[in-house]
Amino acid sequence: MSKDHTKKEMTKKAVKTSKPISQWGIAWKRFKKNKAALAGLFIEGIILFMAIFGPFIAPYPPNDISAFMEGRTREAPSWDHLMGTDYTGHDVFSQIIYGAAPALQVGVGAAVFSMVIAVLVGSIAGYYGGKIDTILMRFSEVFLVMPAFLFLIVLLKVAMTITVAGFGLGLTILVLGILGWAGDSRAIRAEFLKLKEYEFVTAAKCLGASNRRIIFKHILPNVLHLIIVLITSSIAINVILEAGLSFLGFSDPNIITWGRMIAYSLEAIRGAWWQGVFPGLAIVVTVLGFNILGDGLRDALDPRLRE
Amino acid sequence: MGYKRYIVKRLIYIIPLFLGISILNFSLMHSAGDPIRLMTLGNPSPNIGEVRENLRIYYGLDQPIYVQYGIWLWRFLQLDLGTSFYSGRTVNTIIGMYAWETIKLQMVALILALAIGIPIGIYSARKQYSKLDITITSSAIMGISIPIFYMGIIFILIFSFYLGWFPSFGAHSLQELRYPFGSYFLDELWHLVLPTVAIAWVSMALYIRLVRSSMLEILRQDYILAARASGLSERTIIFKHALRNATIPLITYIGISIGLLLSGAPMTETVFTWPGLGYLYVNSVTQLDFPVIMGINMIITLIILGVNLITDLLYGIIDPRIRYE
Repeated sequence: MSKDHTKKEMTKKAVKTSKPISQWGIAWKRFKKNKAALAGLFIEGIILFMAIFGPFIAPYPPNDISAFMEGRTREAPSWDHLMGTDYTGHDVFSQIIYGAAPALQVGVGAAVFSMVIAVLVGSIAGYYGGKIDTILMRFSEVFLVMPAFLFLIVLLKVAMTITVAGFGLGLTILVLGILGWAGDSRAIRAEFLKLKEYEFVTAAKCLGASNRRIIFKHILPNVLHLIIVLITSSIAINVILEAGLSFLGFSDPNIITWGRMIAYSLEAIRGAWWQGVFPGLAIVVTVLGFNILGDGLRDALDPRLRE
Repeated sequence: MGYKRYIVKRLIYIIPLFLGISILNFSLMHSAGDPIRLMTLGNPSPNIGEVRENLRIYYGLDQPIYVQYGIWLWRFLQLDLGTSFYSGRTVNTIIGMYAWETIKLQMVALILALAIGIPIGIYSARKQYSKLDITITSSAIMGISIPIFYMGIIFILIFSFYLGWFPSFGAHSLQELRYPFGSYFLDELWHLVLPTVAIAWVSMALYIRLVRSSMLEILRQDYILAARASGLSERTIIFKHALRNATIPLITYIGISIGLLLSGAPMTETVFTWPGLGYLYVNSVTQLDFPVIMGINMIITLIILGVNLITDLLYGIIDPRIRYE
């Protein structure tokens, strides 16, 4: 971290308000200057709005096939149907709005779930070291090496077999989370290995703090910036993976997802491109938003990593 | 410890990894459904229970799962992957038919991505914060945000349906008459263009970001300054001194991305109806064709393990600082 810069900012602030400014405050100031990152935040805001208020802002209800009754299936975009209609007369624009919630739920859910595993494994391995470290890292290597996407397909096939009525999003989140933690756990372990040698940890030990307290109360807050950055990029990856899985048909057929919309559009994409192109754009915009947000957060929270 | 002992150690280390992954896959696959039930679906025979029982015995599915795994492993060690439930051909033959198409596709895409991505990354790092650099970095972040299957669909729409330049599916023309200039090789290339460019487009973005950031870090170091001070040409500095150190993270990443691309093959190959392992895999999972699922998964796992090993060994050749202890 560039100390001079921070100091200058701190003195400037101190003159104005004479209130101490926290690390997070400094990070937020840096983040605000980054226009691309703000754009990412804005995009995700819109997607989140779509996900929460979807039923209120979508022009047509999810199962509305009135266009089908009028014989207006696969109709080109018009004022009635901003992004056209699909093969059973659903309004593509409304369907995209309904698809925002599952995409965000799976993306965020899986990222958070895999991060919980990654933090547990990474912190224990990094803090205790020795045999525990070796065993846990060998274990994580299995997950790093195996062809994850092939396993995802088999796992979701299992889910489709054991649940009759459709398995919802929970299982997709679970499966993506279980298969996605290994890389992040290594990053967290490396940070713990470094931090446990610092003076504040020795001090805490001298005061008789328990290992659990040192891990979660003393070291973990110092890794928080890394966790936030990792989660953001992991959301982007999980949104893409979820789209791919539902594109291949390995998702709950009762839930409208962008990947599934693209899959359905394929049979007639030559004539009716709007069925597939618009849902795909929704995926690209969402993932792009998380990616630039992640880059911005990295620059703001950990300036050492700035390119 | 010497280099040779290190290689032996790594090779031995692969065994438990492979066993772990294969056991995991075998047990998961067997809970994915009952292939016998799927085969006899809609069979009106009155003694269907008996038929199913006989089929189960015929395919060896009546034994406990650990016995089945043992038999599979024993055969695998003799390089026999079993026989497909559906086509009746051996899995070795089936994989032999499909694997080449997948490897061809991924290899060409990887070479394309590296050949374009590395120079762009270097250029972008040398002209940091220039207009072109900003354009490159923002297009690269666009690139990593596009799912490969969507890129493929867009390419098919534009270059196949509207412009009619390239075929939209398959790896070969169905009739010999349709070969461009009557050449089989040109026909193969003609079919390769769209899928390879779609894959390369997305993975190139990652290489650009990687090369750029590692070059930036290297160009700031003292030994580059020393090289400049001793009057070496810019070309020598970049390609001989800087690039060699930038290859270490690059090699790690190539290793990882081969695994990711092979494992993501189902998506690409479904879009382009490419007769490769990924396409076969999706079909086998829907049909619950256990020997084929197991075969493909294990072949790809072995390729990934092999690539990892090669990556580790290459470090030692490229970076003399690394000692094997």
